[in-house]
Amino acid sequence: MNNLSQTNNKIKCLIIDDDPFIQDLLEDKLSQYFQEIQILAVASSGNEGIEKINTLKPDLIFLDVEMNDMTGFEMLNRLDKITFKTIFITSYNHYAIKAIRFNALDYLLKPFDLEELKNAIKRYKKYSKQNEYIDNVSLALSNLKSKDVPNHVLTLNTQQGVLQLKLKHILFVEADSNYSKIHLVKGRKELVSKTLGNLEEILNDKGFFRCHKSYLINKSHIVSNPKSFSVTLSDNATIPISRRKKEDFKTWYNQSF
Amino acid sequence: MDVKWDNTSYIDLQNIINISRGDPDRILKYLNQFNELIPERMGYLKISLINGDRIMLRQILHKMSPQLQFFGIKNITTPIQRMEFEYQIMPNKELEALVNEIIAKLEGAVAEVSKIIDSNFE
Repeated sequence: MNNLSQTNNKIKCLIIDDDPFIQDLLEDKLSQYFQEIQILAVASSGNEGIEKINTLKPDLIFLDVEMNDMTGFEMLNRLDKITFKTIFITSYNHYAIKAIRFNALDYLLKPFDLEELKNAIKRYKKYSKQNEYIDNVSLALSNLKSKDVPNHVLTLNTQQGVLQLKLKHILFVEADSNYSKIHLVKGRKELVSKTLGNLEEILNDKGFFRCHKSYLINKSHIVSNPKSFSVTLSDNATIPISRRKKEDFKTWYNQSF
Repeated sequence: MDVKWDNTSYIDLQNIINISRGDPDRILKYLNQFNELIPERMGYLKISLINGDRIMLRQILHKMSPQLQFFGIKNITTPIQRMEFEYQIMPNKELEALVNEIIAKLEGAVAEVSKIIDSNFE
């Protein structure tokens, strides 16, 4: 259950970031543009964040990905229970964005475009009564803790709800204009509204390779010795390797991950 | 109160004016904060450069980046992004030149902010 206040209907939130400029800027933007938000407190470190979460029981936290004393994920990991929703805040291109996208978590780029902030609050309101997002955070923490990459769970938001797939169950992904078709073991297929490029970005360090403009393959399902311009996967599907990707493919295939 | 900030070559205060809605106390708060945080972080950059601490250099620049963006500092995003991606592999001389280029721009920005504070709030 989330803690959306029943008494004043305001969304009780915490800002956790060690940069005074970001604290002030976010506080100003929230208080000026979002009357429905009540800022309970601002914490300047992960440790202070934990203390404030435990005492103030927020509905929503804005959490910096990289603080001096710990990362945002480490902070969440130190809590006994997560009962609130989290919007991660980070600067552009931070390496953690990949982990955030892999787990379909919400994030905002500093110094906060107003439209993006509005959309994030809108998403919070839409999903505040569902626990799926909190489950995504728990799953993200479990993915980050585990070195067993094939058992990591990819989370994707679809129109039907949240789709969660173990990497080891994905054979390959096929481009379908602005969508991607994910081919899974046992003949199952899922169509998701992400481009192949989007999925490549979040899967390319997890044993996947874009061997062709239309295909992203999972190394753990390659069964043939790839000498020619194609590979055979464990379900007998033959996937082409483009001429342009052949050398990169060889290098990738011979690397362990 | 209209804050005058014409003829700046390093900074653009439009974001500050917008978020402050013209409130001089708020404008001053952001300006003072810039002139406290940026020189302190420039000091850390210089120390990290002397120590060859590339991780710290990246972290400091990463931390500063949103504030610099917000203050509209021109031509600083590209060198900071290069540091973000290449901090481990960039040759020493290039790294030194890049960080010094960033520091020079920041010194210019701090000087302009000080001038704006002096001419509008003192």
